[in-house]
Formats: sequence, C-alpha cells, structure tokens
Amino acid sequence: MTYFDHSATTPVHPDVLDLMHSIQKDVYGNPSSLHSQGRQAKSIIEKARKQVANSIGAASNQVIFTSGGTEANNQVFWSLLNQNKKHVVSDTIEHPAVLKTLTQLATLGIDHDLVTVSEKGRVSIPGVESAIQENTRLISIMLANNEVGTIQPVKEITELAHEKNILVHTDAVQCLGKMPIDVNDLGVDFLSLSAHKFYGPKGIGILYFKNRESLSSLMMGGGQEGGLRAGTENIASIAGMGLAAELAATRLDHHIEELRSFEAQFKSGLHSFFPNTNFNGDVDNKLPGLVNVSFLSYRSDILLAKLDRAGMAVSSGSACGAGDVKPSGVLSEMGVDDEINISTLRFSFGASNTSGQVDLLLSELKTILTD
Amino acid sequence: MEHIAVGMSGGVDSAVAASILIEKGYDVEGLFMKNWEEDSEYCNAEEDYKDALQVCDTLGIPLRAVNFAKEYWERVFQNFLDEYRSGRTPNPDILCNTEIKFKEFLHYAQDLGADKIATGHYVRSKEIAGKVQLLKGLDPGKDQSYFLYGLNQEQICSALFPIGDLEKQNVRDRAEKLGFDIFDKKDSTGICFIGERDFKEFLQQYIPAQPGIIVTSSGTKVGDHDGLMYYTLGQRKGLGIGGGHSDGEGAWYVLDKDLENNELIVGQGHDHAGLYQKRLTASDLHWISGEAPNSENLKAKIRYRAQDATCRITKLNNTEISVEFEEPRFAIAPGQSVVFYEGDVCLGGAVIDKAFN
Repeated sequence: MTYFDHSATTPVHPDVLDLMHSIQKDVYGNPSSLHSQGRQAKSIIEKARKQVANSIGAASNQVIFTSGGTEANNQVFWSLLNQNKKHVVSDTIEHPAVLKTLTQLATLGIDHDLVTVSEKGRVSIPGVESAIQENTRLISIMLANNEVGTIQPVKEITELAHEKNILVHTDAVQCLGKMPIDVNDLGVDFLSLSAHKFYGPKGIGILYFKNRESLSSLMMGGGQEGGLRAGTENIASIAGMGLAAELAATRLDHHIEELRSFEAQFKSGLHSFFPNTNFNGDVDNKLPGLVNVSFLSYRSDILLAKLDRAGMAVSSGSACGAGDVKPSGVLSEMGVDDEINISTLRFSFGASNTSGQVDLLLSELKTILTD
Repeated sequence: MEHIAVGMSGGVDSAVAASILIEKGYDVEGLFMKNWEEDSEYCNAEEDYKDALQVCDTLGIPLRAVNFAKEYWERVFQNFLDEYRSGRTPNPDILCNTEIKFKEFLHYAQDLGADKIATGHYVRSKEIAGKVQLLKGLDPGKDQSYFLYGLNQEQICSALFPIGDLEKQNVRDRAEKLGFDIFDKKDSTGICFIGERDFKEFLQQYIPAQPGIIVTSSGTKVGDHDGLMYYTLGQRKGLGIGGGHSDGEGAWYVLDKDLENNELIVGQGHDHAGLYQKRLTASDLHWISGEAPNSENLKAKIRYRAQDATCRITKLNNTEISVEFEEPRFAIAPGQSVVFYEGDVCLGGAVIDKAFN
C-alpha cells in the first residue's frame, strides 16, 4: 500500500513508536502518585508538554493535553457558556468539530455567524469584521483548511479582533510540520493540535491558551491538567506527541521542501497526460503537499476505488463509512458546482513518500484516466 | 480468473454467496450498496455495513461502499409514491432490481473492472440454445424470482447467483461454520427503506392522508378510514370496524377502493365473492427471453408467495395483456406484478392494472 492521504492521518514516526512502546511497557505509575513511579510518569508528561509548547512558541503552562483536535475545539466553545458575551464568528468551511459544536451550542444560547469564503477558500478580513457584533466573544478561523489546504489570514484577523476585545481561536490541526506556527506571532488566544496529523499517535492532542481564565473543563473529575482536563493522563501517547512535535519542528524546513517537490512532480506529471485538471484551493497560499484536484467527467468514488485496487490510498470528499459520496461542503462553499465537486480527489503527500512512489501514482492515474 | 463484485448487504445470503465464489476460485470483492439517506444524522446502513465488513474481513476480501441514493430516490421511490397516490400497492423491490442492482450497481462494478456481479438472491440461471433462463431458487420457501422478472438477457448473463441451489437452512449453517457473526441475523422483511418503522407514519411524511368513510358494496357506511393509500385489497387487519368479528365468518375485508369518492369498500367473510377475481389486465409487459413464450402451459403468481396458478394470456397491444385464470384468485392488487412461469422457469411479467370478478 502506497499512502497519499497524510491529511487524513499520518503513519507514526518509528522513533515515536519506540518511545511509546518503552513507556507503555515500563512506566505504569500514575502521574498523580507521590512515589517514584508516579514522579517518573509526571516527568515524562511535563517533558512532552515542553516539547509541544516549544513547537508552537508557547510556554509549557499554556498547553493542556486533550484527546485530540475535536476535544480541544469543543473545550473552547463550550467554555463560552460561562462567559457574558455569547456570540461567535466563524466561517463556512471549518471542520465539523467546529461547525457541529456551534450548531449544538445555538440551542443553548450561544449564537454564531459564519463568514463565507472566496472561490479559493479564503476568509476575507472585511467579511469577518462585518460579522462582528456588540456581543461577539470569540472568532474561530482555522489556520489552514483540511480539504483544500488554503491558509487563512489568522494573524490579521487576530489583530482586528483584539482591537475590539474579542478572543481568537484557530484550529491548526493540519499545520504543524507543514508551516511555521508561532502563537506569539499569530497572537491567537487558543489553538488546537492533533498528534496523528504530524506522525504522532491517534487519540491525543493539545489545546493552547493564552490565558486560562476564559476556559472551563469539559471533563469533571480529578485535578489533572490544572483542573482543565480531568482524567488520568494517557502517558505513552502524550510522550509520543511530545517527540513527534519536536521532530516536526526540527524537520520543518526540510519537510516543506520535500512536500513542495512531491507536489510539483505530481502536478507537472499529471498535466502531461491529463491537461483538463482543475486544482482547487488557493494554489499560491496553501499547505505544501496537499493537492485537491477535480477530474472532470470522472466520479471520485470510482477513481478512488481503482487506485485502492492498485494499492494506492487517496481521499475523496468527506465520506461516511457506509459509502456516502455527497459533494464536499467545503467545495460547495467555494462555489464549485456539484458535477465538478463529485469528481474531486485529495492527494496529500508526506514523509512516508518517495519520488518513486509519486511516479507510480502518476502511472496508475494515467492508466485509469486515459484507458 | 474472473473478477466478481458481490453485492454485500450485511445479510447472511450475500455473505455465503461471496464465500462460495471464493471456494470456486474467483477473484472476489465486496460492494456495499447504500440506496437510502436517512433524514437523521445517524445512518441506518451503518450497522449493515459493519456486518458486511466483518464478513469480508473473515473472507479476506476487500469491501467497498457505493451510494445510489439519488438514483434510487428518482427512479424507485418516486414511482413508489406515485403508485400509492393512485391508490395502488407497488412493489419497489422489483424496480430496485431492474433500475439499481442490475443497472447502476452492475455498471459501477463493470467500471471498477469486474467481469460479473453476484448477488445473494435465491434464483438460478441456465443457458439454453443461446439464451439464458432465470429459474426459481431450489428452496421453495425462499424463491425470489418474482422480484427479478424484469431482468433482460444481458443483465442475467452479467450476474451469478451462487446460493440459488441452496436451502436457507444450509446457507445459515455455512455462515455459522465460516464464522460470520450474522449467521442468525433476522431475514429482512417488508420494504427495505421503511424497515421496522410504522408504515402509516412513514407514508404520511410524503403523502397527505385523506380520511374518508368505509362502506359495504351496497353503500352502507360501516366505519371511517385514514386514507385509501394505507389499505391493500384483501386486507383484513387494521380496518377498525366495530360489530364484526376480527376472525372467522364475520371479519371485514377490503374489496375495492373508490378513488373518486374516497371510499373504502369492504365486505364480510373470507369467501366474499368480491374478494375473488378471474381476470386481470396488466401493462409494462416484459419477457426475459425478449419474446413472448409460445407455450400453452403457463402459470402465474399475482404476488410474491402466491401459488402459481394456471392462466391464459391474451395480448391487448405491445405492452398490455389480459390474463385469465382457470380458478379465481384471492385479492388481485393493482400495482403488484403478475409473473409468469413454465415449471421452474421464470418467463417474465407485467404490472397489474385492474382485476375483474
């Protein structure tokens, strides 16, 4: 199996796997315990916290561990129930972990407005500005989109928001290791990450916060994570994420270069035998290595199945387990019509790929598309 | 080796069908079809999909999912609603086979590179003198040829029916031996997209009910009905008429529907003459071989699970026929299909328009 779906998830880095294995085997203490086994576990967690915090320019005490990006997003939004201002501005191409949470909260008195995006999938700053109300407490705009990779002007939006005393959250789960992230430069108040997107394990992530005052815990229980996330810590996964974040930060420049090169090779190869391609997203301002492309007059589920039969993993629009191929909501919001929408595949390259694999992918696509 | 795409429903029949093809050495892959979108977020199909996945994992074959909800909605469900609006009793499973399973699904599988498809239907096929025949399944209690009479030569040639010569119990035994979790899963009954839901409530979402009165054939009012579409000719239960006994001599039966006056016409007793018809007219005639049979010795079913009954066909025009039975049939319902047989061979059929006493 050759894997071109790194935006869905990534294989765990071998060093991360080794570390997690040894921790799972040897470190069984509860970090809340006072004996040496407990202290050992606690040290491992705190080391990982520092590693993740460093990777985004945060301080260790600004990061809590969650079960992933979804939980981190939820925590930011559900905390609004305890705030005085109860309005949120977000946009129409956020991940369901944002959009569905907002829909649910609307029944509990937290209102929201969703800003539309351009045909490149970009949120406009004036659009955000005009959606702001007297009562707006939070703006949530993803750092980069998961389907098309378009990078959003989060820094500029944050500057605008802070002038009006509004907090900013950004869902950055697609971004670590693919673009520099510095929470101080971005200025955001909250940021979500998920380890499995950067060669760490699944089921673990972080929520960064500038100030803890505006946060409440989703989980009630013990006093872990400074009272912001009850429950005995998932030590091996936390340590794995720490190392994965450190590796991602260390390898950043190299990885970006590698992704760009795969992307260039893929695009030019594809163009040589299938000139009628339609690349979606903001090609000049997007995550490297993520290519969202429509193959006019082909159905994406057929293309995906044929590639799968040839041992190659790619992604179509959002798919439910039981075979839904609904048009992608993100592409619809970008104004892509249904016919083109359902002919779209997402290729996302990553550290597990080689240039030879990209050639194989191209030759398989050539067979399928020119058959 | 031939590449076969098996339509996996998550049920025991298609699971065993796939296993038989693997035993025979075919290159087999599973395709799970989703034809209905639930209004709610939660997919009903999700459970069936998981069952199909467990089967395919056990067999070591890939399972892919494909969605024909749009096609099903347009070509099967709209017809289903139209038929009910006209006071008829449609059979959407027949249309699902000709329009979805043996058309969209077949083409999809062929697009994927499959040589043939296979299903878990209890039918058999046989080639004779350059033509293929569709035969009843060997298990008389399970034969599903009634639902497949609309297939043509090409469709039958493109399909395998691996369990057509097995009995249901044998299929279940095989499933258990193979380690399928679903070996004792309940057979699906009724209309697939309604499932276990209340039929009236379901239909009400799509067609406004027009309540009216229930009368005897002589015009005496005996009760009220909720809407003609909820009743089928020959129906006994659920009429809600007081006075009569729910069983035996006095029970009330639906004899007819008067659409113009929105009246449901009923009569008492299973032997009521109004419940029996000797002749029917039908349209959308289809012959599996492509031409009308020249045999005199024809039998027909007027609904799934009805007895085969000796009959004579008279052609009215190219698509319409009149069918006369030797013995009167019980409650022939417009919208259902009349399906013709010569022995075990399913010859074709047509959709019933009208029945005559």
